[in-house]
Formats: sequence, C-alpha cells, structure tokens
Amino acid sequence: MAITQFVVNGLLVGALFAAVAVGFALIWGVVDIINLAHGEMVMLGGYTSYWTLTAVTGNAEGSLGLFLATIPIAIVLLFGVGYALQRTLVQRVIGTDIFLTLLVTFGISIAIQQLGIQAWTANPRSIQVAFADPSLLVAGLVVPKMKLVAFVGAIVLTALLYVFLQRTRTGRAIRAVSQNPEAAALVGIDVEHTRAVTFGISSAIAGGVGAFIATILNVQPQMGLIYTLKSFVIVVFGGVGSIPGAMVGGLLLGSVEELTAGLVSSQWTLAVSFTLLIVLLVVKPNGLFGEVTEP
Amino acid sequence: MSTGSEEGGALRSILPPSRVDDLFGFCGDHAWALLGVGAVVGTLPPVFGLREGYYMTVLTEMYLFAILALSWDLVGGQTGYPSFGNMAFFGIGAYTTAILVKDVGIAFPVAMVGAGLVAVGFASVIGIAVLRLRGHYFAIATLGVLLAAQQVSRVLDITGGASGKILLDVPPGTAFYYLFFGLLIVEMGLVYYLSNTRFGFVLNAIRDDEEKATAMGFNTTYYKTAAWMLAALFTGAAGGGYSLFNTFIDPQTAYNGAWNVELIAMALIGGTGTVAGPVIGAFGLHTIIEIVETAFVGWQLVILGAAVIVTVVGFPKGVVGSLGEYAGEMEYYKRGGMAAGGGEAASDPEAEPEVEAGE
Repeated sequence: MAITQFVVNGLLVGALFAAVAVGFALIWGVVDIINLAHGEMVMLGGYTSYWTLTAVTGNAEGSLGLFLATIPIAIVLLFGVGYALQRTLVQRVIGTDIFLTLLVTFGISIAIQQLGIQAWTANPRSIQVAFADPSLLVAGLVVPKMKLVAFVGAIVLTALLYVFLQRTRTGRAIRAVSQNPEAAALVGIDVEHTRAVTFGISSAIAGGVGAFIATILNVQPQMGLIYTLKSFVIVVFGGVGSIPGAMVGGLLLGSVEELTAGLVSSQWTLAVSFTLLIVLLVVKPNGLFGEVTEP
Repeated sequence: MSTGSEEGGALRSILPPSRVDDLFGFCGDHAWALLGVGAVVGTLPPVFGLREGYYMTVLTEMYLFAILALSWDLVGGQTGYPSFGNMAFFGIGAYTTAILVKDVGIAFPVAMVGAGLVAVGFASVIGIAVLRLRGHYFAIATLGVLLAAQQVSRVLDITGGASGKILLDVPPGTAFYYLFFGLLIVEMGLVYYLSNTRFGFVLNAIRDDEEKATAMGFNTTYYKTAAWMLAALFTGAAGGGYSLFNTFIDPQTAYNGAWNVELIAMALIGGTGTVAGPVIGAFGLHTIIEIVETAFVGWQLVILGAAVIVTVVGFPKGVVGSLGEYAGEMEYYKRGGMAAGGGEAASDPEAEPEVEAGE
C-alpha cells in the first residue's frame, strides 16, 4: 500500500513538473534555445501569486477562489516577461554559437535569482489556502486537496496549450516556425514576433504552475535551477517537441522521485534525478518518444 | 559584433591596427620571455611586505580563478565543449584534501597532488560518458554532473554532510599565494606549449569540425578525454588548495554553480581559445566583482549576470579576440593586397589570429 501511496504522490507532483517542462520543450523546439532561465519563470509566477494574495488579504492566506484568481495575473505578467526577454536579449544571440545562447539565458537566470534575493530575501515562502485541510481519503490513499487542485490545474494548462497549438492561427504559426523558419517567413509569418510569443506562452505556463507550487511546496529565489534541470530530464525522456511525451516524462519523474524519497530517503531524491539525467542523456539522447534528431 | 573597426575616430589614431598587430607579434615572438617576466613579477608582492590581509587574499583568489578559467578554456574554448560542470572537479579536489589532511593526517602538499589525481580519475570516468554528447546535451549533462556531485556530498558522512568540514590547522597565506601562482604559471606554460603542438591543433580541429577531424584519422575521443582530464587535474588541484585556503568546505562552496558561470564568463570576456584571454578575463572580472562586493554588498552576482549578458550580446569574441580581429585588418596589406592574391585569405573572418601572449 505504501508504494501505491508514493506513486500517487509522485503523479500529483509530476503533473506540475510536466507542465513546466512542456514550456521548456516548446522554447527548445521553436526558438532552438535551451532556456536556463525557465525555472526563474516558475519562481516569479509563485511570487506574483504570493504578493497579489498578500496585497489583497494582508497575509498570504486566502480562500481557494481568491487564490485561483491570482493565477491569471501571474500568467499575464509572465507572458510579458517572457516576450520582453526574447525581444530584448535572447533574439540577439539566436543563430550564433549554442554555447552563447546557453550563457545568455544562464546570465538572465542568475540576474533574476539574485534580484529576487535582494527584493524578497532568501527565505522560503508559501501560500496557505483555507480549503486545503483536511486531506481526502480515497480507497485508503491520502490525497491532499491542494495537490489535487494543482494537478488538475497543471493538466488544464497543458491541455489548453495543446489545443492552442493545434487549433488557433497563432498556434499554427508557432508550429510552422518550429518546422522551418525560412519557409514560415516566406508565407508571411513574422518569425521574430512568433518566437517572442512562444517565449511568452512558455513563461506564462511556468508562471501559472509556479503559483500552484507556492501552495503545495514553497517558493524561494534560488528554486529555479532545479525546475530547469527537471524540465530537461523530462524533455530528454519524452523527446523534444512532444507534449504527450513530456506529460508521461513528468509523471514518471515525479513517481521516481517520490519512490526514492519514500523507500530510500528524501535526501537522495535530487541526486537520483540528476544521475537519471546523465544516464538518460548518455543512453537515450533522443528520448523515448522523440523523433530522431542529431544530439 | 562591435569591434574597434566601426568606431574609428580617436581610438584609431591613438591605437592603429598596425600597432596592435605589432604588439601581438611581439607577444607571440617573446611568449616564453613574457611568461618568465610575469613569473618574476608575481613573486614580488610577498617579498616587498604584502604578506596578509585583504589584498593578499584578493590576489590569491585572482590566481585561483585564472587557473579555473584557463582549465575551462582548454575544453570549452580550445576544444569547443563548453562545460557547465567544471566545478565538480574543483569540489572533488577540495573534499579530497579536506578528508586527507583532516581525517587521514596526510601532509598538505601530498594531499593536493592526491586531489588532482582523484579529480583526473573522476574526469576519465565521467568524460567517457559525457564527451560523446554535443551542444545542448553536453552542457546540460555536465551541469547535471555538478549538481549530482553536490547532492551526494550533502548526503555522505565522509564529507561531513550539509554542514561540511572545518579545517583550522592551515599553512600561512603566503603559502597559498605561491601555490596558486605557481600552479597558474605552470598551467599557462603548459597550455601555451600544447597550443603549438599536434595535440593543440587537433583540439582546435575538433572544435572547428569534429567529423572532419575524425575523417582525417584522429581518434577524437582520445584527444577530448585527454584535454578534459588535463583540465580536471588543474581544477582539482586548485580545489584541493582552496579547501585549506578557505579553512572551510561545504557542498555549497565546493560545488559552486555561480562560480562555474563566473569562470566561463572570465574566459569569454578575455577571449576563448587563447592562453592570455582567460587569465586577463579572470583578473579583470574578479577585480570588478571585488569592487562591487565591497561597495554594494550582495549585488556581486547580479553584476556577474549582467556582465555575462553584456559580453555575450555585445562582444562574444572577448578582449583578446576583438583586438585580434582589429589587428587583423592589416593582414590584407601585409600580404600584398589583391595583387598578391591575398584578397581571399585576408577577408576570411575565420583566420586565426595567432595570439599567445604571456601575461
């Protein structure tokens, strides 16, 4: 029974990892950039929700409805941040050395992280939602309500993105740029704008997920890099450019982490994740579901 | 890319390309002499009374960072495999001396050699796995190595867990000054020597086109791994010295991700793929960071992030690379212009500026 419980916990958290990773994969696929500042978007989203709630209620507590109302704010704000970053900085290094693109996003990551420490101190903060207690009991399994809400929220965000990419005009433009930027430009797509929109959308989803993470875990300025790396593990696992693959990858990573924490020790979860990353990269760099690309 | 060439005006009249070209020629011709002069000048501060205090520490750290940046550049700049995990070697070296000196009771100099060797052993195992990857995958895999090593040292008992190890019985400050300075001079000499050998040329060939290098019959895996292990040797030994220099080591200081970016930034600002570049970058950026740290406590990493962004976006060739490009403007005329059929070669932007200055 204990193992089932660990897997359930893992799946609940894994959906959040997956939603973060989907945005990471989208930027990778469309802009051809590994965005090492992606985790910072999660962090900024969490803080946006936290401070909005604090501004309304005076402390970081509130009802479920009030908390959910802060999520669109985080999403809109982070869309703007992502769009602006792409337009002002990242755009300038596209097409140069891969190493330079990595370094510029790493620079952005450090700058945001350190400004966060200056502005909000390094203390972890979390949002208390009145609705959270007590946990649900389903067939002998403990399911914390907020984790369930976060799980559903992450799935909804991912599904919305999927529909957006498949059905809307902008979504089609994004996919076109991902497949062939030159051809996309030839048929009249504004490639730079589309890339910036992609960056914005990815950051917005990360921000929305960050708000959920603030309720079930916590937020602190230096949390970002871990989410970036987890996204990388998931994307490598699921294959670049595959949203269902990223979803499966996220759920699997969450389960593996929770099983490690439950069966071995919670101290080992990150060591296991990073080792898994290296092993996966070496053994299967194209992912389990990805198309064959040059690693 | 803005180099001096478009700006023109006053700068050009004070420092014309031919002058820069002469300077580069001079440095290239007298590299060993310059290195010797640098080695002598570097030994002077303690002789003239600077034996302890803030400036001593800053100078020592400068040499430390120069060692790390130069080691990074051997693989990142010369071979074209930008590692985001070099600090893993540093941390392993740091813990090796900490454990050997404190728990086993081995003398510090021996322990430091041990630190370098343990780092090399680790690098050979990791290198075989990760050096098969390229681009994004290599960069992230090395970052993963760094973080995995950090997490492991946080859990194990032998490393003192999250609280780390305190080392109180340490040599005096001047010992570390000479230690890091000596290591830097040896490394500069070695890297400069190698850059003019077959080994160095193959590394550059791997950076420019690995498939072609393989097709020409070079066992690129051997060369890559050798460079990677050489970088690990110096990084590990520097880490081995650092744990006693700092008198304290914990997972956060040993496997410092920010330092990893810092040393990449140093190599980049100075100019990757050169000997002088990473050293100049290390001295320059460390000075700036020290000033910021003194004037605005807590903002040094913000400045680091900003410096990285500005360098990457503004002048990705770095100081030495940009100057080399500026000096290269005269290449066309030196070769006799179009008349001598030099037009093609002179306008080739890839033309390697042979810049190997001492210090």
